[in-house]
Amino acid sequence: MKSDSPMLLIGIGTAGCAIARGVGRAFGEDIRCVLVDTDATSGEAGGDFVLIGGDRLSGRGAGGNIVAGRLAAEVSIRMIDDHLEDVRLAVIVTALGGGTGGGATLEAAKHLAAHGIPSVVFATTPFVFEGDDRQRNSRGVMTMIEDAANATFFLPLDKLIGDTDNMADALRRAVDTVASGVTLFWRLVEKPGYIRLDTERLRHLLAGAGRGRFAAVTVQGPGRAAEAVDRLMRSEMLAASSGPVKSALCGILAGDDLLLSEVGTVADGVRNAFGGLSFDLATVNDEATFSGRLSVVVMLFEAGTRAEGGEPASDSVMGSRRRRAPKGVLGVGPSGRGRFKNAEPTVWRDEDLDIPTFIRKNLSLDF
Amino acid sequence: MNNIYAALELGTTRTVLAIGEAETGGRLKVTCHAETPSAGVRKSQILNIQDATQSIRSVLREIERKQEASGAKITIGNAFLVVSGQHVRADPFSAPVQVEGARVTAEDMEAAIRAAHSMPTSRDRELLDIVEQDYVLDSMGGIPSPKGMAGRLLRLNTLHVHGDRNRIQDARTAADAAHLEIRDPLFATTCAAEAVLEDHERKNGVLLIDLGGGSTGYAVYSDGYLAAMEVIGVGGDHVTNDIAHAFQTTNTQAEGLKIREASATVGGDDGASARVRVDPGENTLLDNRTISRRALNVVVNARLLELFTVIRERLEELDLIHRLHAGVVLVGGGARMRNIEALAEQAFGASVRPGRPIHVDGLEDEPFAPSYAAIAGALLYAHRNYEEKSILDGLLGRFFSR
Repeated sequence: MKSDSPMLLIGIGTAGCAIARGVGRAFGEDIRCVLVDTDATSGEAGGDFVLIGGDRLSGRGAGGNIVAGRLAAEVSIRMIDDHLEDVRLAVIVTALGGGTGGGATLEAAKHLAAHGIPSVVFATTPFVFEGDDRQRNSRGVMTMIEDAANATFFLPLDKLIGDTDNMADALRRAVDTVASGVTLFWRLVEKPGYIRLDTERLRHLLAGAGRGRFAAVTVQGPGRAAEAVDRLMRSEMLAASSGPVKSALCGILAGDDLLLSEVGTVADGVRNAFGGLSFDLATVNDEATFSGRLSVVVMLFEAGTRAEGGEPASDSVMGSRRRRAPKGVLGVGPSGRGRFKNAEPTVWRDEDLDIPTFIRKNLSLDF
Repeated sequence: MNNIYAALELGTTRTVLAIGEAETGGRLKVTCHAETPSAGVRKSQILNIQDATQSIRSVLREIERKQEASGAKITIGNAFLVVSGQHVRADPFSAPVQVEGARVTAEDMEAAIRAAHSMPTSRDRELLDIVEQDYVLDSMGGIPSPKGMAGRLLRLNTLHVHGDRNRIQDARTAADAAHLEIRDPLFATTCAAEAVLEDHERKNGVLLIDLGGGSTGYAVYSDGYLAAMEVIGVGGDHVTNDIAHAFQTTNTQAEGLKIREASATVGGDDGASARVRVDPGENTLLDNRTISRRALNVVVNARLLELFTVIRERLEELDLIHRLHAGVVLVGGGARMRNIEALAEQAFGASVRPGRPIHVDGLEDEPFAPSYAAIAGALLYAHRNYEEKSILDGLLGRFFSR
């Protein structure tokens, strides 16, 4: 039986679906969740899956093209409406750099806003080794997602995964790490605590919060509260600041052994370390999950800031450098040729000119 | 009824038929023209002969209706065919001839012309035109007329313009089915140049761009002759397709947005509303849909700028880009686009003007004459280069079929 929680988890794109599934597994109970992707294979592992862009992309994915992902979502995002009944807050998990994660997340956030549902986006940004195209895809859409969603957390994979991690396991571990962090966030809202953070309060806190930074740590043993604070202070996920912190949310999750002094240590430590005009504290008491352990979730918000590297839309595409698509990789499938699909193609410098220019050049149309 | 010519342009978005009549003084007047929407044509090539035939029948009916309304009654039996599309190409050719005496005579020049015209056309291609360029005497080129000059070997540079025989035959087949005889196919872009370019522009260097629905032709004239031409398989239909794709509209809605609202440049829309209403057509559920004007212009700007960039890069490769001292002339339906001249000025760094058919009369009242440049030029070209033939010829089949 599915949860009747007022909070809906939405996994978008292949990695987003994987993260959402990870959250479901880690949470250990049914959570209200829907998975959205242009790639039909994401639905094979079960769950409530919505294939978007079916007519356009035929379930083969967006091919790394943000505009294709966005167009797919623009046409099909209404298919998630069946899952929106009584939803008070939507949490989107996704990975930027590809086509669906960036493009469809933007449309999903807009769609939720049109339904009056606030959204929080947790999005990973690509490893540097993934290349310039994916980095550019990611940067290009961050600002737009930030504008469309109520709160955004962009999680750089390079900071999330240490240099010493096994390369082969890095992406899988990244998914697991984000999933565990979001799970802690989920528990903070869904589980009872001494200082309760429910959906309504979260809605209030996150309304217009804008870009945020997010980190979660789990420690155990003597001095665990101080250690948690120390690790948070050293966390790269919280260190990158482009402006003063306007508000902070600190959640403490522990079992029956949580001491009042530990709550004080964590609250004071976080408040002193990161400041913030407004500070909110929540606790969760969950003996079954956290016996002997202490988890701390911190969200810092810098209201009014823009996503790092976000590129404003230019006045004109004049002067933009011509970016040649790699041979054989045009970013969209045959359907991108539209009414010219049966006509003799016009190819210029390896680009199929029958495919819309704005798609091939990854131009932002979000005005 | 003599000295009357008809020309048919079976384009991607519209089918145009025009009648031209020779005037005293050698000029030509377009006495009647009609256009109807095209069907069965993509990228200037016929995909459905039945639909194309229907388009030709429609435009024939329309021009006959117009004729009757004006008191005249000419039933068209044959017409020249205005051809475009990326299947059209131009190959340079010249063949040297020995100068008979010490100096070049008129006979030597005739021999050079015959040699330049001697290149056979392959079986799958149909010759549209042989454009004579400059003479080369021994190793010296760029000679407009070598008569009287001393030298041993003379050759005439030419461009052989030809198209895919099957594509042209498809148009003939469609016209035949509408009982309209096709006389000869003529290349749209050079026809347009015939109608709109001044001699001094050809001498000083000019780029003519024919922005069609399914393809865009360009021709560069320098030192008085055609230096290069090409057809790119991108036209106004691509702009429409891009809009439809970007904003999830029907092609009809996209065409409406392109014509009514879009600009070739982004920004500078002071006073215009930020949102543009999408005509719902028959879908009343979408009657309040609007899109961002800026986004619309970004889509259009990207496509047209890319098209101009392709042309510019081709001219750079041919070392012609710095020879456009007389600027750029825009013709074709795409030249109607708002701010297209400003965009072309940016792209080519040259002055830009719309190409009205100045060498042909009768289109003075036409709201946008540059879109008729090719068909007007075809009539003019036919008038200057072809034997007179009554346009009634070939009508009997059509007459009795009705």
